[in-house]
Amino acid sequence: MDGKVQLQKQLFDYTASLFQEGFLDNQFNQLEQLQDESNPDFVVEVVTLFFDDAERILNELTTSLGQEKIDFKRLDAHVHQLKGSSSSIGAQRVHEACIPFRNFCTEQNVEGCLKSLQQVKHEYSLVKSKLETLFKMEEELLASSLADLKVV
Amino acid sequence: MATKCMHVFDRLMFSVTCWKKSSTQTGRRKFHRDVEKEEFQYASTQCLSSYYSVFVVRLAIMVMLAILIGLLTILTWHFTKIYTTKSLNSLAYDLRYELLQRPILRMWNILNSTAEITTAQVKLSEYVIRSHNKLATQEDHVEMYEAMRAVTWALFSSRKALNSITVKYGNGFVQAFHRDLKDNNTFYIYTDLAYNETSEALNDKEIHNNKTVIWYREQLDPVSGEKIGKAMKIAPEDSISIAGMSQVPDGVASWHVSVSKFTDSPLLSAALPVWDSSNKSIVAVVGVTTALYSVEQLMKELVDKHSGHMYLTSQKGYLLATSTNDPLLTNSTKKPKLKMAVDCDNEVIREGAMWLQKTYGNNFPPSHEVHVENARLGHQQYYIDSFFLNLKKLPLVGVIILPRKHIMGQADQRAFKTLVILISASLCIIVIGCVCILILTNGVSKEMNLRAELISHLEARRKAEASSNYKSQFLANMSHELRTPMAAVIGLLDILLSDDCLTNEQYATVTQIRKCSTTLLRLLNNILDLSKVESGKLVLEDAEFDLGKELEGLVDMFSVQCINHNVEIILDLSDDMPKIVRGDSDRVVQIFANLINNSIKFTLSGHIILRGWCENPNSYGDNESFTMEQKKLVCSQKTITKQHENTAKKTSNNDKKMILWFEVDDTGCGIDPSKWDSVFESFEQADLSTTRLHGGTGLGLCIVRSLVNKMGGEIKIVKKEGPGTLMRLYLRLTAPVDATEQHCQVDFANNNLVVLLALHGNMSRLITSKWLNKNGVVTMEASEWNGLTQVLKELFHAKTPTHNNDFDAHYSAHRDIWKEQINFLHKYYARAKFIWLQNHDSSNNVKTELRKKGHILTVNKPLYKAKMIHILEDVIKERNIEVQKKNTITPRTTVKESDLHESFEIDYNHCDVASSDGSDISEIGSSNPSSLYLKSNCLLGLTNEYMEQNSSRKEASVSKREKGEDSECSRVNGSTKAVNGKKSLEGLRILLAEDTVVIQRVATIMLEKMGAVVVAVGDGQQAVDALNGTLGVEDCRKESLLKERNKETSQTEILSFPAYDLILMDCQMPKMDGYEATKEIRKSEVGSGFHIPIVALTAHAMSCDEAKCLEVGMDAYLTKPIDFKLMESTILSLTKEKA
Repeated sequence: MDGKVQLQKQLFDYTASLFQEGFLDNQFNQLEQLQDESNPDFVVEVVTLFFDDAERILNELTTSLGQEKIDFKRLDAHVHQLKGSSSSIGAQRVHEACIPFRNFCTEQNVEGCLKSLQQVKHEYSLVKSKLETLFKMEEELLASSLADLKVV
Repeated sequence: MATKCMHVFDRLMFSVTCWKKSSTQTGRRKFHRDVEKEEFQYASTQCLSSYYSVFVVRLAIMVMLAILIGLLTILTWHFTKIYTTKSLNSLAYDLRYELLQRPILRMWNILNSTAEITTAQVKLSEYVIRSHNKLATQEDHVEMYEAMRAVTWALFSSRKALNSITVKYGNGFVQAFHRDLKDNNTFYIYTDLAYNETSEALNDKEIHNNKTVIWYREQLDPVSGEKIGKAMKIAPEDSISIAGMSQVPDGVASWHVSVSKFTDSPLLSAALPVWDSSNKSIVAVVGVTTALYSVEQLMKELVDKHSGHMYLTSQKGYLLATSTNDPLLTNSTKKPKLKMAVDCDNEVIREGAMWLQKTYGNNFPPSHEVHVENARLGHQQYYIDSFFLNLKKLPLVGVIILPRKHIMGQADQRAFKTLVILISASLCIIVIGCVCILILTNGVSKEMNLRAELISHLEARRKAEASSNYKSQFLANMSHELRTPMAAVIGLLDILLSDDCLTNEQYATVTQIRKCSTTLLRLLNNILDLSKVESGKLVLEDAEFDLGKELEGLVDMFSVQCINHNVEIILDLSDDMPKIVRGDSDRVVQIFANLINNSIKFTLSGHIILRGWCENPNSYGDNESFTMEQKKLVCSQKTITKQHENTAKKTSNNDKKMILWFEVDDTGCGIDPSKWDSVFESFEQADLSTTRLHGGTGLGLCIVRSLVNKMGGEIKIVKKEGPGTLMRLYLRLTAPVDATEQHCQVDFANNNLVVLLALHGNMSRLITSKWLNKNGVVTMEASEWNGLTQVLKELFHAKTPTHNNDFDAHYSAHRDIWKEQINFLHKYYARAKFIWLQNHDSSNNVKTELRKKGHILTVNKPLYKAKMIHILEDVIKERNIEVQKKNTITPRTTVKESDLHESFEIDYNHCDVASSDGSDISEIGSSNPSSLYLKSNCLLGLTNEYMEQNSSRKEASVSKREKGEDSECSRVNGSTKAVNGKKSLEGLRILLAEDTVVIQRVATIMLEKMGAVVVAVGDGQQAVDALNGTLGVEDCRKESLLKERNKETSQTEILSFPAYDLILMDCQMPKMDGYEATKEIRKSEVGSGFHIPIVALTAHAMSCDEAKCLEVGMDAYLTKPIDFKLMESTILSLTKEKA
């Protein structure tokens, strides 16, 4: 039981730190709000969707930036998409990193784009690992409570 | 010379550039003081480069000028000199030639004459000797000698130039005449005859060596030849040279140059033998010597005239004649000898001869002719010319040495002067030219500097503008970033509030937080609006909207606040106001919201009136609805408004533009007249001390003015009687042609209505009653409970045929008195209609009580024209129904109540329908005046105004919970009830077009949580297809997978009912974006009369995006990330409208 409390506290602290450090914002809270009995894994599902989507977009961005003639319009559209989806799950820092990226796209600044892409990738990997940790912790918590149930 | 000049010039240039540099440096230093460092660096580099370029250009121009002028000088000088020198040289040559030729000719003459005389002497001698053929005796000899002497004298005296004539006879006798040129004496010299007899041989040696021979000399008169002196013996050495046999060995004439001690000059002597008659033997030798003196004389004369030197030499180099007085013979003690030319005492001649010898040595050119110019002798330059006179036996060489100065002196001098003048002139020109260039380029460089400065200033200005632009752009762009978190906070608070698990305390706190957040958001919006207006990004929409409705909504919204402040808020729009106008409704509302907000802030008690009228000459005629004070104001403003009127008339005739005047009149603390203009500036407040009291940023009025100006209007504060502020503004809005005359004019005059206004607020009661009176409705007023009862009693006990009552029931301080009051009023229920005016915080107890009693006609405060019209119409309608019912003998049933209840719950959308009904009813009503119900149809406007102590807190909070939503968003008012109950969007079918899966998922869940059925598609094309029912089965499955939460029935529903209630459309999508899809959908709708609401979902928060969305036919606009609450309200408003 103590372990569970500890886990709970850990999870709470971790979530708080994520918010504090700006990895996540209120939108994530809203997502969690939307999760209920009818959608028990809603957050995980959406975030996984986001991961898939973001990885696809990042790959596309990388390839299109690697090309000789860069289609900035397409690039911009991709970044816009990433920005939208990241803001929707509340991945604030990815979202923020997308803003200068878009500006560079409109300026057609290749160097800036590459730099921004790195930044976005970095933020994305960060938020991904953080969220994965978060989900793991939640899982652990769930497992422990299940275990508790069994014990009881 | 030229290089020197260039050197000097270069030096000059260097010094000039140095000076220039130093001056520019000081100039820059000055510059430094004024301008920022960065700019300075920028400018200085620019300046520096320009300076360098100017230097280079200057230098180049100067060097070119110098070269040009130098070349010109040199060429001029060269040509002048060359031609002069050439012609002079040829002339000089001729002169020299001529000069030399003359002495040579003279020489030639001398030689010739000498030869002639010699020949003549010879011939004469032959003749004399032949005539004395027989010389037998001494006397014969003497006779012959005498004859010879006479002949010889004759010859000698005839030739003055002769130096001597000698005749030497074969026997050794010598006869000679000698002229001493020095003393001008003439001598006769002869030998002693005695010795001659013996020696026959004509031997020179003998003669000279024989000392025994005695020589005699007699001086003669040079003219007559008479003896003037005695014969004197002289030594042989003193005698003159006598031509002897040795000189004519071959019997031919011989020439030689000899010297004698009697003369300084060399003598030319010629010798010829005298042959005897048989021509076989020489009998005598005749010798003639001629002094070359005359040649010398000539030379001297020539030289005198022309200067320079001449000399004649023999071929071997012995001097024969010179133009100088120097002796030609060596002055040795021995016999005088001829000098060589190189030994001449005269320096010039010596050097000239030496020069010639040195140059040519003995290898003279064959003709011996030499012409040399510029031979340097001593310190001067000379011309040296030599000519060769080839005489047989005596070749002569003539040399003339002329100083160059003599001939070319003037020319050289002139040439030098010319050169000097030319060079100085060109120097002057160069200097002047350089100065000119300097001055010129100075101007140019100054201009360049100025231009550079100007350019840098322009650049700086551009930068500043750009940065200001960036700032605005940044702010405008930030709107999204700033609003999103705020919206999230508010949305989350809403979610929290909608949760049921909160305790009351928590609920209050969260509500407070929400209020604060809303305030913050409003502030944020204000700042963003301002920046938007300033950056020129604000685009006013141009859409039709119901101005009256918007303003009523606004007043409704503010009434809550006003009632809390105990301030009346009154909307007073004149009847001629157009109902529908074109413009930007949000901005118009914002203007009035800001103004009213401002008024509320500063008004602690009294009233706030929002007046509106249309500028129209007629409106002044019947402004009875205006209060008296306003009338005065209108009069005072007439001059101004008339001007506007004129302009307005013109414009309104052309394009239906209208000028709408508005006033916001409050009874607050007022504004000092000196601040009337400045309050409209940003961050200005009339009294700084009020900031502390009332708060605020001072942005509101600034935004208002910006917006009003943008709409072609003006706002100002005008003078007002009494306390408070009166803000007057006008807006230019276009009114659709068909809508201008659509005033909601209902004729109530014929309905025999009596209205009793029982309203607590004086101002609103006054205005309402005025309006009612104007429209022909009999109006009575009561301001408090006692008055009301009084009037009621009077009305109903007097039993006057037709009455209409309107009440304002003001509750006294007792707690439960309202019940009694209701009961009291209920007594009149049968005879009068009571309209209860409810406050937002009216307690439920009151409401239920009223309902229980059957008073179902309730209206929310404040009461304004449209509501009044509505009430009247409904009353008339109800009366009509009742009349009908009465006619059919049906008692009033609850059904009617519920109907009416329904009709009052709804908005005023049915106004038009109701009014048409009302007019019908009024006719019927008037046709049955005797009816009891008709007679005593009373309207009771009952305001439940609670004092603080009257209302229990709990009730208040509950009612707030219900009505609080209304104040926030007037559009949603219909939906709030639903929120509390079931899921708000229950039964709605929504098509969601969104390409980003994440957002798709989130939105789906959100919507489903609200109870809607969601179909999600990935792009615009699919959305169009789905709407057209051509969506493939597979796609449907895919969707169904996506929304696994949905019941199975929903799937079948999708297939069976392809129509949707609403579409949520992402703007940026692959294949077909939201705009395209919307256009497509709208196109397909054309003709069908069907209009599916489309809500844009976009991550852009700019007004232009919004405009674009609305332009393509979307109905509303939501920004990402999706705000739960906002989405709900938007969807509800849209679906409601449709319903």
